[in-house]
Amino acid sequence: MDESLQELENELKTLQPRRAPARWLDQINRELAAELPASARPRYATATDLGSWKWLGWRTAALAAALALVATVGLINFRRPAPVAAPAVVAAAPTPATPAAAKAYEPVTASNVLYDLKDEGEVKLAGEASARQVRARYVDTYTWKNTRNNASIKWTVPRDEIRVVPASYNPN
Amino acid sequence: MEATHDQGTWKHWLEAHGPKLLLCARQWTRSLADAEDVVQEAFVRYWRHQRHLPGDPQALLITSIRRAALDHARRHARRTAREEKADGGLEERDCTFEAQPGEDADRRNEIESALQRLPAVQREVLVLKIWNELTFEQIGEALEIPANTAASRYRYALAALRKELKPACHG
Repeated sequence: MDESLQELENELKTLQPRRAPARWLDQINRELAAELPASARPRYATATDLGSWKWLGWRTAALAAALALVATVGLINFRRPAPVAAPAVVAAAPTPATPAAAKAYEPVTASNVLYDLKDEGEVKLAGEASARQVRARYVDTYTWKNTRNNASIKWTVPRDEIRVVPASYNPN
Repeated sequence: MEATHDQGTWKHWLEAHGPKLLLCARQWTRSLADAEDVVQEAFVRYWRHQRHLPGDPQALLITSIRRAALDHARRHARRTAREEKADGGLEERDCTFEAQPGEDADRRNEIESALQRLPAVQREVLVLKIWNELTFEQIGEALEIPANTAASRYRYALAALRKELKPACHG
């Protein structure tokens, strides 16, 4: 910042915002003083109140999402066909260290987006068999949420999936 | 800031920080009365429900004030449009800064007018940086813009002010 801007900045800093009117402070005082006893207070005044039903709802939703995720992953693994004779691509899932604080996080969403699908042509398998190699490119996104303080972690991973499909040629 | 966490000391904290918060709210409201309503609403909500949350209370309050101001503007949009039609769109112009002994009142008025002529997006960043002493990161969070954008708006605002005030101050 050049000197004249610095000078102007310093001049602006010397100006003091107008004092808050006393009647306004009194008004806030009255409003805070008139705070209702806990029994009479509306129970679900705000979502920032951790006892609120909204948080309960989010907790339930997070739990349901986590269960749905586990069930979906289990189902996919259960139904996955035996791999064809091709180099297997294994996405090494990192095994996160789980200190006490990390246990507070629960998975809430998992999604994947297919953004590119390319036929990479013919490949030769063992035994001179022909096959076509198809590369699918995904972005996987996983979200965990800490229900105690509403912090969240989003993990976005690019993933290439290579499928080798046996091809048979019929000259007719 | 820590004072806000102790019951009964909010008044001292608000006496010290209230003027800055009001000035900040004034950037997003049509009148000082609206700014007072908005800061009151945000402060009472903060004091009742959010004062135990971690982080800088002033930054949290400014975010809360901005949201309250946007809600207030939405709630009163119809009334505002009707009033503008009736009074030709005149806004209440109130004194933003405190008069101080021995100061040049003309200069203060000149700065206030120049501030009013700044684009709103530049003025809000300037107010948050100069009088609320937030960092560009905190300003970015409060306004939901990248910190770099906040920094460049700040520089544009200062440059525009310098241009406006040049004959009086830097000529």
